[in-house]
Amino acid sequence: MSLLARLLGRGDLHSLAAPYALDALEPAERVRFERHLKNCERCAAEVRALSEDAVRLAWSTAAPPPAAMRDRVLAAVRATPQEAGPMAREHTPQLPPHVWGTQPPPGRSRAPRERRPFFVPFATATAAAALVVASLFAVQANRTQDKLDAERAQAREIAHVLAAPDARATTRKDPQGRSIGAVASASEGQAIVTLSGYDALPSGRVHQLWLMRPGAQPRSLGLFGGGDTPLVATDLSSSATSLAVTVEPDGGSPQPTSQPIVQLALKSVGFGE
Amino acid sequence: MEADELLVLVAGGDQKAFEELYGLVSGPVFGLVRRVVRDPAQSEEVAQEVLLELWRSAARFDPGRGSALSWILTLAHRRAVDRVRSARAAVDREQREARRAHHPAFDQVTEEVEAGLEREWVRRCLDRLTTLQRQSVTLAYYDGYTYREVAERLSLPLGTVKTRMRDGLTQLRKCLGGVA
Repeated sequence: MSLLARLLGRGDLHSLAAPYALDALEPAERVRFERHLKNCERCAAEVRALSEDAVRLAWSTAAPPPAAMRDRVLAAVRATPQEAGPMAREHTPQLPPHVWGTQPPPGRSRAPRERRPFFVPFATATAAAALVVASLFAVQANRTQDKLDAERAQAREIAHVLAAPDARATTRKDPQGRSIGAVASASEGQAIVTLSGYDALPSGRVHQLWLMRPGAQPRSLGLFGGGDTPLVATDLSSSATSLAVTVEPDGGSPQPTSQPIVQLALKSVGFGE
Repeated sequence: MEADELLVLVAGGDQKAFEELYGLVSGPVFGLVRRVVRDPAQSEEVAQEVLLELWRSAARFDPGRGSALSWILTLAHRRAVDRVRSARAAVDREQREARRAHHPAFDQVTEEVEAGLEREWVRRCLDRLTTLQRQSVTLAYYDGYTYREVAERLSLPLGTVKTRMRDGLTQLRKCLGGVA
């Protein structure tokens, strides 16, 4: 670092280039430095060079991954929508056609014109899948990094459920047009659940999701985050018969304190054995 | 095909191109993640997430800013470091105290790096760094410590660690320069 840079007070931020290239900054510093990078061409060039150096350290660690990982990743890829790039802002993310139930999954589609609905997990479930997908991608603008991270984590869980070989979808709509939808996998014991068309609750109240099993107390599966945000429910036992939603005080309740506003049977998605 | 071309195809939704890209990068990605995360099950999980993220975010790759492989390994490293730090956050404080009290050997990398030409070169070049340069670089890159943590572990001022990291990386560049 030159004396001039030091005198001008740029030294401090600038000296973070090497720790940044090594991913050795704390999150707040990382953000601050990345902001600085946008306005400092010299730093950007330096970071690029130092990052290339750091990557040299990566090459020496290469190791063959477990064979099963390939199948899992490729299955997830088939079920996971892609993000729009910076060049394609109007791009509408879509799941592959087989998820919509309009085509057999890729790899089985040697004869694309031949319809084989009995292979298709989502054949009867277009509406439910549409619900889940629409709510997932409704919001594209104004996302903070935290939100992006949270979305990424959620997309990962959703991809996981969608990739399960026994993933099925189901939905239920009431006469007022309000609906609950779920994509569930009995083998994974997971479901993605969405509510749609329900009025926003007064402050201090939340929608809570419950798992109903014969001869057992309802078990909380979590709170809906508001809007159309899907809830990822895990650890569903295969004996579960339905999902139920109640309105509860903020923070949720250990047991339901009111009648369910809606219930969704799980038999059609492979539960209740 | 090179990773750069493949990544562009992947951004366009080409699953065959992704399979080919997987063949090229899954080894480096998995190896790097395992080096940082250590735990085999967690490493597999993080590597899978990274590879799936390549598919989801391929459109973000900007060829004007570096090679696809650098972008991919940088992403993998970032995710591995995030994982190891969050896992470490809870238990580390006391362990760090304990380790510091015992003055353990920091230079594990040199012994752990296995055979192989690239490995051998990296090992040799790491060996040519000063001890402090080497420790600063490897504690950060291979073990996922922040430069503050590195300074604490090595009982050095922050400024010294930042300088050692920079010097270490530039020395590595010079040493590895001739090797593809």
